Amino acid sequence: MKRSLFIITIFVATAALAQAPVKVDSDTISGLGARNIGSATMSGRIAAIDAVWEGQRLTVYIGAASGGVWKSQNSGTTYKPVFDKQPVQSIGAVAIDPKNPKTVWVGTGESWTRNSVSVGDGIYKSTDGGENWTNMGLRESERIVRIAIDPADTNTVYACVPGKLWSDSADRGVYKTTDGGKTWSQVLKGSNLSTGCSMLSMDKSNPKTLYAGMWDFRRKGWTFRSGGDGPNAPSGSGLWKSTDGGANWSEISGAQGLPSKPWGRVAVTVAPSNPNIVYAFVEAEPPKNALYRSDDGGKTWQARDRSQYMIWRPFYFANLIVDPKNPDKIYKPDLSLIASNDGGKSFSNIAGGAHGDFHDVWIDPSNTDHLITGDDGGVWYSYDAGNRWWKADNLPVSQFYHVSVDMDQPYHVYGGLQDNSSWVGDSSYPGGITNDRWENMYGGDGFWMFVDSSDPDYIYAESQGGEIGRVNRKTHESRSLKPLPQYKEGKQRFNWNTPIHMSPTQKGVVYIGSQFLYRSKDHGETWDRISPDLTTNDPEKQKQEQSGGVTVDNSSAEMHCTIYAVSESPKNPNVIWAGTDDGNIQVSRDGGKTWTNTVANIAGVAKNPWVSYIDAGHFDEGTAYVTLDYHTFGDLRPYAFKTTDFGKSWTPLIASDAPVRGYAHVVREDLINPNLLFLGTEFGLWVSIDGGKQWAQYKGGDMPNVAVRDLQIHPRDNDLVIATHGRGIWIVDDITPLRALNADTLGKEAAFLQFTPAVARIPAFAGWVTGDAQYHGPSKQEDAVITYYQKKRHIFGDLTMEVLGPDGKSLGTIPTSKRRGLSRVTWPMRLKAPRVPTAASALFGAAFGPRVLPGTYTVKMTKDKNVYTTQLHVVADPRSTATDADLRTQFDLSMKLYNLLNDMTYAVDRINGVRTSLEDRAAKLPANDAVAKRLRTASAQVDDIRKRIVATKEGGMITGEERLRENLGDLYSSVIFYLGRPTQMQSMRTEALTKELADVEKDFDAWTARELPRINADLAKKKLQAIQPVTREEWDKSSGAPATTAERDRFERD
Amino acid sequence: MRRVLIAVLSLCAVPAGAQTADEIVAKYIKAIGGMEKINAINSYRRTGKFTGGGGFEAKVVEEKKRPNDIRQEFSFQGMTGVTAYDGKNGWKIEPWQGKKDPEPLGEDELKSIVEDSDFEGPLVNYQAKGNKVEYVGTEPVEGTDAYKLRVTLKNGDVLHYYMDTDYFVPIKIDTKRFIRGEEREFETSLGDYKEVGGVYMPYSSETNAKGSPNKSKVTIEKVELNVPLAADRFVEPRAKGAAPSAAPDAANVQPKKPEEPKPAANEPKKPPRFVILSREGGEGSQVASVETLRSAQGDGGAR
Repeated sequence: MKRSLFIITIFVATAALAQAPVKVDSDTISGLGARNIGSATMSGRIAAIDAVWEGQRLTVYIGAASGGVWKSQNSGTTYKPVFDKQPVQSIGAVAIDPKNPKTVWVGTGESWTRNSVSVGDGIYKSTDGGENWTNMGLRESERIVRIAIDPADTNTVYACVPGKLWSDSADRGVYKTTDGGKTWSQVLKGSNLSTGCSMLSMDKSNPKTLYAGMWDFRRKGWTFRSGGDGPNAPSGSGLWKSTDGGANWSEISGAQGLPSKPWGRVAVTVAPSNPNIVYAFVEAEPPKNALYRSDDGGKTWQARDRSQYMIWRPFYFANLIVDPKNPDKIYKPDLSLIASNDGGKSFSNIAGGAHGDFHDVWIDPSNTDHLITGDDGGVWYSYDAGNRWWKADNLPVSQFYHVSVDMDQPYHVYGGLQDNSSWVGDSSYPGGITNDRWENMYGGDGFWMFVDSSDPDYIYAESQGGEIGRVNRKTHESRSLKPLPQYKEGKQRFNWNTPIHMSPTQKGVVYIGSQFLYRSKDHGETWDRISPDLTTNDPEKQKQEQSGGVTVDNSSAEMHCTIYAVSESPKNPNVIWAGTDDGNIQVSRDGGKTWTNTVANIAGVAKNPWVSYIDAGHFDEGTAYVTLDYHTFGDLRPYAFKTTDFGKSWTPLIASDAPVRGYAHVVREDLINPNLLFLGTEFGLWVSIDGGKQWAQYKGGDMPNVAVRDLQIHPRDNDLVIATHGRGIWIVDDITPLRALNADTLGKEAAFLQFTPAVARIPAFAGWVTGDAQYHGPSKQEDAVITYYQKKRHIFGDLTMEVLGPDGKSLGTIPTSKRRGLSRVTWPMRLKAPRVPTAASALFGAAFGPRVLPGTYTVKMTKDKNVYTTQLHVVADPRSTATDADLRTQFDLSMKLYNLLNDMTYAVDRINGVRTSLEDRAAKLPANDAVAKRLRTASAQVDDIRKRIVATKEGGMITGEERLRENLGDLYSSVIFYLGRPTQMQSMRTEALTKELADVEKDFDAWTARELPRINADLAKKKLQAIQPVTREEWDKSSGAPATTAERDRFERD
Repeated sequence: MRRVLIAVLSLCAVPAGAQTADEIVAKYIKAIGGMEKINAINSYRRTGKFTGGGGFEAKVVEEKKRPNDIRQEFSFQGMTGVTAYDGKNGWKIEPWQGKKDPEPLGEDELKSIVEDSDFEGPLVNYQAKGNKVEYVGTEPVEGTDAYKLRVTLKNGDVLHYYMDTDYFVPIKIDTKRFIRGEEREFETSLGDYKEVGGVYMPYSSETNAKGSPNKSKVTIEKVELNVPLAADRFVEPRAKGAAPSAAPDAANVQPKKPEEPKPAANEPKKPPRFVILSREGGEGSQVASVETLRSAQGDGGAR
């Protein structure tokens, strides 16, 4: 057998060698799992919602703006992400087949087209309730805002496609399929390459009747146009109607009562309970921008409400939802959610305690008081038609821009989020990282955030447009520190996402960039302007007061010609890099006195890229890494470059055939291994172990293809902290093994990889029950983590792992993971549990062993016939005040108690052995035999002794019965689940229990000496075997492993 | 054995081309030893070790007998929990809090053990068992390409078997069980296949609720084939009329069942129900139990 397996192994190895070189792919590295620490407290923008009653249970689908699709089958009590394996995570539309709730359509690419919006890649369909998805086409649509399904023939589906935001495209308008998505035809197209469908509504009672809002729009890095004429073509915005299922359309923009053009974004919806009633919101020139209502199917219209939140920011809010039963009841999502009960004449603000910036509303057709809405802060439920809202606390779709860490133990994570302020959260916490382990520190949209390196009681945070503040972590007092313009200088240009940078070399030194770079050495009390205008200062890109199109919208989101990336060299504080959103890569080598623009030294790229990140090298002052982002020009490909000569020359890091997808947000060089690079793009995280020659997507912990906006490597704990824009913060604990991964290791069948010393952490307990409807982020693994590599999955034969103590003795085995690539297994850093006497109940506190002492342990892996070993260093928790002597004292007492439990088990087993034997002999005699009676009496006496050691009352009640065993178990667990010197009481109690056990043993010995000879004489007369209590030696022999029933059986059957 | 080996080796040479569910199932049966060898087994006992969080270990034993008898034991500190099914009735003994009489299995437990009771697993003779098996494509499992089979059991529960494309043995099984209308999803990774009696069985498994980092790991140490297993090992004791409380302590002294392994395949035995204990534990014991739970389950527990 063994030989056969060996042959198989050889065969496999040969086959593998013959095939191809070892792949460095996603699975090679993804065995290093990641933990998503959330948070669902700030959740994130929701773009679309649909729901359906399946029997008496409500199934809900949530389309997150950049965090995938989430499904609940219990009205929102719990959700699971169902779209994570798809290549994009930005969702624009969700629609459930009205005939079959297992068929679900998802339009990817959000259409609430703010500056930070992501992209999609077509329309998807699932026929099994979201388990599996198929891309059904419209791949060039980039964004889809509405899917309308013909209720009579659900293979007929219409898609409303606004299309590409950043570039011209013919792939927009209204699309139709009649074969369930196999083929599509464009049934309504815009009059130019920037006009697409902004909203579509079907008359469900006559599904051939359709209304479509068409929208001419374009965003650039520095401006946005919602409607109006384009540079080369008249505006295509308008309202259209078809009565033949999309075959023919007529523009009804000129219908009586509708405003004159120019128009911007158009929303339209048919009242489900009365299809003659149609509502349209038209973005037109004030004061004609308003809600319009038609009572005759679109022939004539009347202007209705034009209150603030009807007309505000149409590019972001252009959705109308009419109550399924009452045609006069309308909801309009906007900054506030507003509702009308009078057919649109007036609206009330019903946002209540929700976040704000609403985008969609689902109304329960069976109970129209029951609403689900989504806004920039997540999902909300109402059971009273929107008077009050209940927050969903289980959707961790938070949209971080940046992340930083501190040096606390465990460290904290800091970061700002789109429309959700700036937060500090725990990287680990006893009981898990619940929503309440995150604390809001600022306001507005959040971006960069750092603890002040010279005073950890203070934090730097900012809101949009460079509104930097320094915040007291305890009092939350905040001081505004934004650099202000000088005399007649006019407005300074601070990016939406203004760079703040902490010097890596000088404690307390902080940078912030407008078009100028500023540096402060005194916590922002004074700022030194250390650069001239580092941007192109292109006046054509500075017309934000005219931005917005038909409706002016100058929120600082389009502020351009700004510094966007700053990085000071960790090797030389005088080397400072600044990248701008309009394409300059500037470097100063004299602390900011002079600057050189190096962008022209990058060959073969288009002009004016957004310099999305600069990472100054950690090993050499001339080295820097840069990512360039062209997505605002419609080019979604990744670009990253490296220089080693201060920018005189740049080499590309991403080959044209690299598997990297998505525009690049961040590149980071490892702090230890210069060949280890991390790259975050709109579609995920990529890792290179060879300086960029090969890239592999990291998918550990089932991390989806979500935008990775920022990365931090914790300098002490070696964790990679990942800021995603749509799925919160992820942590890859201890990336040391990635640093050790190289071609040599990859070529081996198996190998241990270096890992950091294991911290024997303070046992701690916190948190409390939160129900099922809350997100919990996992904490850092408490056990020692052991990392190894296998070239191929281990399928046949043993793969075992054993830990040996400093003395070389085995401390037990660890189950192994069999996966290909990197694997992680854990060892609890505890000895095996002690043996425990059997009694009425289990002694859970004694089901664990004492913590091992700090020191060097050996891990031995056996794979088939090959043995691999590595050293595992266990170190004490740095937070613990326990000295080595304390730990030794604790260990000694733990072992004393451990051994006492063993002694007690022996004592009880010895008694039980005698008792069983007595009963056994008695059973072999006639019932009324005098000897049998004496044997039974003896058995009862022995049992009385046993009952002084262990609790024996059964039945599953709280008997409260405590004997020596229960007392000892409590004492043992109280000593081992603490890291440090035991109390005087614990030591005293150990002595007391030792004596008490000895007393019982003495009594049993006395009984044995007194009674057994007589009993054995009786037995001899009956020709029955004499009874001999099991000796300690015999018992110990049987106890090589933790107590098991099998072993117990063995010696009890004397 | 030699024939089995040759069969396995020859399979390696087959390029991964188009496959049907039946072809994959046939190759699986061949790879693990063939129907003849499988049919030669009428009962077996697997003995192994359960490893939970914090170093919690227990001995597990599984006994199975054709057609549908199964008994699973979970032992530590000399106490043995039993979950068993005799083809008709499922029952358990959970002695951890001093209650040692048998109880009927709850719906979820019963579903689980009924699935486990399928002697050769759901792929072998799947049609006769009323299971539906579909090939749904190739999917990588932890870096290894696998044929994905969707197995729909007669009761509606769905298993996804991921079959290694070289050896045609399952390397992962996803289980979706419907309990009171709710989907419960579990993932089980399999490895350390070893041959016993001409049949390859996985000796290592890791199971977790989908998405949870807390894994229940079972390492099989011994498999005994065609062991005599009396019918009363599977029948609920009370049903036999044997008064369980006749000798209250006998249960401790002579645990009726020594050792049985946990099933490696679908769902290895979970640790004792600490959570339930903590709810029932009363004032003082609550903290202690929660602490135990935390220690036993590892930190936190993501959801």
